[in-house]
Amino acid sequence: MADHKTDPAKLPWLGRKLLFLDRPKNITLVVYAIYALCALLLLMEFVYTKHPYFGLEKIFGFYGWYGFVMCALLVICARAMRVVLIRSESYYAPGDVESEPYPEDGLDRSTIDD
Amino acid sequence: MIDFIPPFLAYIAGALLIPFLPKGHGRSAALCIVPVVGAALMWPLPMGSYGQIGVMGLELTLLRIDKLSIIFGVIFSLAAFLAMLYAWHIRDTIQQSAALLYSGSAIGAVFCGDLISLFFFWEGTAIASVFLIWARGTTGAYFTGMRYLVVQVASGVILIAGAGLFYTETGSITFDRMQLGSLATWLIFLAFGIKCAFPLLHNWLQDAYPAATVTGTVVLSAFTTKLAVYALARSFPGTELLIYIGAIMTLFPIFYAVIENDLRRVLAYSLNNQLGFMVVGVGIGTELALNGTAAHAFAHILYKALLFMSVGAVLFRTGTAKGSELGGLYKTMPLTMIFCLVGAASISAFPLFSGFVSKALILSAAGKAEYHIVWAILLFASAGVFHHSGIKIPYFAFFAHDSGLRPKEAPWNMLLAMGLTAFVCIAIGCYPHPLYALLPYEVKYDPYTATHVINQLQLLMFSALAFTVLMRAGLYPPELKSVNLDTDWLYRRAGPAVFARVAQAVSGGWGGTTDFVRRCCDVMVAILYRAHGPDGRIARVRPTGAMVIWIAILLLAVMLVSFM
Amino acid sequence: MDVAVLVFLAILFPTLASVTNMAYRNNPNLRDSVTFVCAILAFACILGILNIVGSGISEEIVLTEVFEGLDIAFRVEPLGLLFAMVASGLWGITHVYAIGYMRGNNEKNHPRFFACFSIAIAAAVGIAFSANMLTLFLFYELLTVSTYPLVAHKGNAKAVYGARVYLAVLIGTSVALLLTAVIWTYTLTGTLDFVQGGILAGKVEGRIVPILLGLYAFGIGKAALMPFHKWLPSAMVAPTPVSALLHAVAVVKAGVFTMLKVGVYIFGIELLADTGASEWLMWVAAYSIITASIVAIMHDNLKRRLAYSTVSQLGYITLGMALATKMGILGGGLHIAMHALGKITLFMCAGAIYVATRKTEISQMTGLGQTMPVTFAAFGIGALSIIGLPPLGGSWSKWALIVGAADAGQLIAIFALMLSSILNVAYLLPVVAKGAFLKSDDNPCKGVREAPLFCCLPPAITAVGCLALFFWGGMLLDFLQPVVGDGHG
Repeated sequence: MADHKTDPAKLPWLGRKLLFLDRPKNITLVVYAIYALCALLLLMEFVYTKHPYFGLEKIFGFYGWYGFVMCALLVICARAMRVVLIRSESYYAPGDVESEPYPEDGLDRSTIDD
Repeated sequence: MIDFIPPFLAYIAGALLIPFLPKGHGRSAALCIVPVVGAALMWPLPMGSYGQIGVMGLELTLLRIDKLSIIFGVIFSLAAFLAMLYAWHIRDTIQQSAALLYSGSAIGAVFCGDLISLFFFWEGTAIASVFLIWARGTTGAYFTGMRYLVVQVASGVILIAGAGLFYTETGSITFDRMQLGSLATWLIFLAFGIKCAFPLLHNWLQDAYPAATVTGTVVLSAFTTKLAVYALARSFPGTELLIYIGAIMTLFPIFYAVIENDLRRVLAYSLNNQLGFMVVGVGIGTELALNGTAAHAFAHILYKALLFMSVGAVLFRTGTAKGSELGGLYKTMPLTMIFCLVGAASISAFPLFSGFVSKALILSAAGKAEYHIVWAILLFASAGVFHHSGIKIPYFAFFAHDSGLRPKEAPWNMLLAMGLTAFVCIAIGCYPHPLYALLPYEVKYDPYTATHVINQLQLLMFSALAFTVLMRAGLYPPELKSVNLDTDWLYRRAGPAVFARVAQAVSGGWGGTTDFVRRCCDVMVAILYRAHGPDGRIARVRPTGAMVIWIAILLLAVMLVSFM
Repeated sequence: MDVAVLVFLAILFPTLASVTNMAYRNNPNLRDSVTFVCAILAFACILGILNIVGSGISEEIVLTEVFEGLDIAFRVEPLGLLFAMVASGLWGITHVYAIGYMRGNNEKNHPRFFACFSIAIAAAVGIAFSANMLTLFLFYELLTVSTYPLVAHKGNAKAVYGARVYLAVLIGTSVALLLTAVIWTYTLTGTLDFVQGGILAGKVEGRIVPILLGLYAFGIGKAALMPFHKWLPSAMVAPTPVSALLHAVAVVKAGVFTMLKVGVYIFGIELLADTGASEWLMWVAAYSIITASIVAIMHDNLKRRLAYSTVSQLGYITLGMALATKMGILGGGLHIAMHALGKITLFMCAGAIYVATRKTEISQMTGLGQTMPVTFAAFGIGALSIIGLPPLGGSWSKWALIVGAADAGQLIAIFALMLSSILNVAYLLPVVAKGAFLKSDDNPCKGVREAPLFCCLPPAITAVGCLALFFWGGMLLDFLQPVVGDGHG
């Protein structure tokens, strides 16, 4: 199963079509698309009327910057939490569910006829 | 003449019959038919209460059909059907029967109209579901199952204690609106809260769901917690405390979700977060908010099942669900990836997906009721859930760095189940009116206004932007093989240590008392033996059996008494 | 037929079985089948009584008058009828099981074993139908004496020691405390009859009530109230059928049954409730429930764990009496039946495992469930009933006790019941879960097959009985209703 060099011919049709995601250049394109979309959404502020419940919502691009700032904070806080909370996988017990692999025979793969 | 059959009986009958059917496609088909039969039993019944039984001077109501129970009945039946389809390949009788009993108990609980029946079904869900965890057959799963069961049974006994006190106080056991105040109602509230995974009572959920079998988790994710939401919506709508509990519930799990490695556990945290939205809706208690809770529960069961199904398919094919081990699977499992993205978009409330039309009801209810801070928290939680469920799950499973794993695409039954679920998610998102028609109250709400759509897209895209920027800057916490401490530390580390001390003290005291008693007995036996034994004084005079002596003593005593 | 004849026959048939066992000591098949027929007939007599008396109270059937106002007499009333039904009904099932067990294990001295066993049943039925404390006391002692050879059956040093503790505690408490209490009661009231509403009401007051109650409560050693419980774990040296029927059903239930009789018919619940005399007993019972459960968790030996579980569960019934509310008494009465069926299932499964594998420790039973599915399924059902989970009988008695405690306003009793349920989960279900779902390293399943049919069919029957009791719970409660007078609550 673990061969890094993939023969595209062996992949399912849909997988082949998506192979462009393998190239870093294309990833950068996707990132730029996100930037462009965000800019576009910010510009949309001018084309609709707001029906705010709260004063806060009247601020220009409120939803945009709120989402950005809060998510950034979320990640930074979570990173900080991790420093305190992280333990090794066998912290509670050697056979704790997270550290043990899923039993091969428990997957019932043999009962699939494909 | 019985003109109705409670739907749960279909499940119980199914569970009892399943072991006698030969293993294979026929049995799997029978499993899928049961929820259909259950729904068919429920759907044609007009509103009202049926099946009153008098037991011990109590009136039990087996079937109460109203708008609130119908919508949960419908979604539970649908979820049961999809889960059975997803588990088509399973040939394990225990799992199959347990899944049926579990869904049947949940449906029974939704339709029952009194606290005693509720307790029966409540515990029914607890017992049946634990087999889905134990069926994994590993030591870790065994211990997790025990912990899970203790918590669930505790919730049940708290419920029955509350019901007993409630009965003594009011003379009624009706399962209907209550007012928090007396000990009885607090106990019932606490019982619901445990199953609903309230903050600090939540950890059983994150413990158990990643431990269950691939198909078991899909079943588990649908019923227990949503049953608790239903019970809260039934009994405690408009309880302000719930708003704050719900707000905290939406908030803290997202932090854990960001740093969690096991993807099924990430989903369990996000499940907890989504429950928070529903609890807030119950707490606000307006018609709009309760509609929002019901609608969100409906949509949530579907997209959460879809996400668990797609991660389950990955686990099924690769044997692991850890973010640190996965990546690059889109090449060989593209359909699973697409279904996962549909689930991700639904949970994140993208326009045209189911979460968008349901979550909006709760947010605008919070806005209308002027809960500023709660509203801001919910908005943050919406962004956060997109962050970890919407982006993190698909990203680390299917994209990110190439793990080198090249598993096969998921089997047909899983694909079919995921496809159907995804279809329903999109259908609800695009055309919410049938869902709105099912809601407990009339809906005067249109989610598709320009303002709402643009605002939601802004929120989500800028969250995505934050993810992209942090990822590119290398600030995003990498997936590490690890566990994170949560409240389970209290009962897995601190608790056992304390308990060991207490138990030692108790058994010491116990041993002391029993030793004392035993020594007394020994002395007594020795005295008796000296008197009645083969060489004893009494034995010399006349033949004795123990019986005769006691009767003699008794007679003596009686004589003494009567002469006194 | 007349009730008097039927009561007489219900006691005669077990006695007859005992005689047959001694007479035909060399013909095991004849012996065992005659005993089985006697068991069926005895049960039929009791069903006949049920048919005639229903949940009413029969006339007194006087055998002989010892003194003025002191008779050896019987009277049928619902609580006793329930106990008699449980004891004699389960006798037949246990007998089948005992045949499988004793033969499967190559135990010795079958005639003596089965003879004593039958006498014990006769004594239990006698206790159930006793019309006064004197008759009850005589049969109570007969039960102790007749079960002594059963506990000492194996004859080794350990068995003899266990039996000695057994005899010492039971005889000691009954003579030192119970007899005193009985005589005291007689001097106070001039009668020992079981009378609706109690005989002590109006005759005693003040501090005497709790003291007298204490003499009874601790004097009835068979109720295994702390700290006089030690005989029960000691008695686990007996062969498992004895542990199953006698130390989960007949003997211990005779104890708590006497406790309920004393509470209802000697003191009367009004007297107890008005004077608050039983409040301390509730605390003792609650303590007994919790402590015994915790001790049970510490034991790895399955039978010992079940014995401590019994101590804890008997506390439920004593607790029901001590609450001195109608629902408490009814809950206690219900629990006699519910616990009997659940616990006998567990013991028979423990014995079946022993017959099939010779394993006694829970830690050795990992993975056995895969090869012994019937036994482990029955164990699981029995365990769930003991915990008090639906859809099994135990959930009704727990509900009744909780309502009784709520009526009495005793939150501590409710708390004890809740905590005990959780502890029950912690010590009973690991046996099932480990057995059925875990695989063991040393593979104990090798060469193990399901226990012989005679050993695994009876627990399966009683497990189904636990299920049936869930649906009959309401009926049973209505049946017991006359014990506390009419009306609910």
